[in-house]
Amino acid sequence: MRSLLFAELLKLGKQSKTYYALAAILVIEILILITAYYEGSAILDLLLNNLRQSFYFEGTLLNGNLIMYIILNSLWFNVPLILMIITSGLVTDEYKDGTVQTVMLQAVKKWKFMLSKYIIAALFTLLVIAFMMLTTFTLAYSIFGKGDLIVYINTLNFFKSADAIHRICWAFASGAVAMIFYSVVSITLAVIIKEAAKTWIAAALFLIITNLLLKVDFGMPAINAYFFPKLIDNWQQLFYYQIDWLKIGVNNAVLFLYIAGFAVAGTYIFHKQDIT
Amino acid sequence: MIRYLFLFLVLGTQIANAQKVDADLLHIKQRMDSVSQFTADITLDLEVSFIKMPTKTAKVRYAKDKKMLFSSSDFVMLPKRGLDFSMSEIFKHPFITVDRGMEKRNGKLLKVINVIPTDNQSDLALVTLYMDTKARRIVESEVNTRKDGTYTLLMQYASFNNILPDYVEAGFAIEKLKIPLNFMGKGTKIDRKQMRSEETKTGKIKMKIDNYVIKYK
Repeated sequence: MRSLLFAELLKLGKQSKTYYALAAILVIEILILITAYYEGSAILDLLLNNLRQSFYFEGTLLNGNLIMYIILNSLWFNVPLILMIITSGLVTDEYKDGTVQTVMLQAVKKWKFMLSKYIIAALFTLLVIAFMMLTTFTLAYSIFGKGDLIVYINTLNFFKSADAIHRICWAFASGAVAMIFYSVVSITLAVIIKEAAKTWIAAALFLIITNLLLKVDFGMPAINAYFFPKLIDNWQQLFYYQIDWLKIGVNNAVLFLYIAGFAVAGTYIFHKQDIT
Repeated sequence: MIRYLFLFLVLGTQIANAQKVDADLLHIKQRMDSVSQFTADITLDLEVSFIKMPTKTAKVRYAKDKKMLFSSSDFVMLPKRGLDFSMSEIFKHPFITVDRGMEKRNGKLLKVINVIPTDNQSDLALVTLYMDTKARRIVESEVNTRKDGTYTLLMQYASFNNILPDYVEAGFAIEKLKIPLNFMGKGTKIDRKQMRSEETKTGKIKMKIDNYVIKYK
């Protein structure tokens, strides 16, 4: 198993796609930073226009914490899309290059082969989130400095700088679980579809549908609470004024069950497949 | 006879006009005027249903005939109206007062007067003051402005001799937020019925004031 993991890690490290993914994340961050630098004040003015009629503001809200929050919002679509494209390649490339047959000719168990793919996909996802967090922290705080964070979730919530940093760190951690979910799903899709381009389309579709279903009211409390599209925004819970840690913990635990479910399904399908 | 009655009315009105400003208010003004400047630390708690903000701290600087200045290392939101607990705004322009009698509030018997500015330049339309005549200070006020609606002030003092309040509660009307849709998080729910029913809300800011450094004339 260890050698399988090492081999997968080597493949991931050697393929240029991995570095393209990291570069893409960096480009998204830089674009957000440039937009915020030139238009951030105007956007905040628009947001707080009503309040300006009644209040004087002392201090600035355009700061590193707000930038971090905006970048965190790329966890809705941009980052999972990049992750799904890269991680699905772990399987589709094997089919395309015919290396899957070579591996299966060795004394390698199919489930171990698939498990190593899922583990590496999860590790790669964590690496990307860590990279994103580190670069964002460095860029956002060095350019915009620290300050209070303003977030609109049903109410206009203000958080002191230290509290905001704390919440952002936990949001990255919680967001990482959602990203692992997407990566695992993309591998399962790759096992079913096998072709790279088709898998990317299916992954993008899955992402869009999941985002759309997030808003749908299914009429049943259990489905509304624990159906997977309802769990992918768990990181947003960190920006409610009162954090419901229990809800965050339970939601992430349920999301882990979904991750395990998709991984088992992918492994089962691969096990049943004839490798020709 | 009618001529005498007319003369009496004209002279009577003029004499009454000369005494239009309440004597107790003038005493309070005199006391307030003795403060030429002060600085203090303020702890602010904002209470608006659609704004959640932690307790903030700020420093306030006041100099007579100048705008009160606030500074803070945090981001703070201060209401444009309701922070004038020195009441300088009232005394800025000529006014008359109308005695409304005595009223008991929080176990204290307070003198109630209406302050009506006589100068069109004043931003104030009508002010109701609740005065503690024994301690010679204003305890409550309701201020109706020409442009910025109505706000109320409730002041508490740590000791009988204090001239400036140690606790101020300012109540004000605030328009509800109009957040553009693209600023809303994906989890944000929009309740249109509730949004329509909440055009204007009232808010409150509670200020605890410590470490006064007062300079008297």
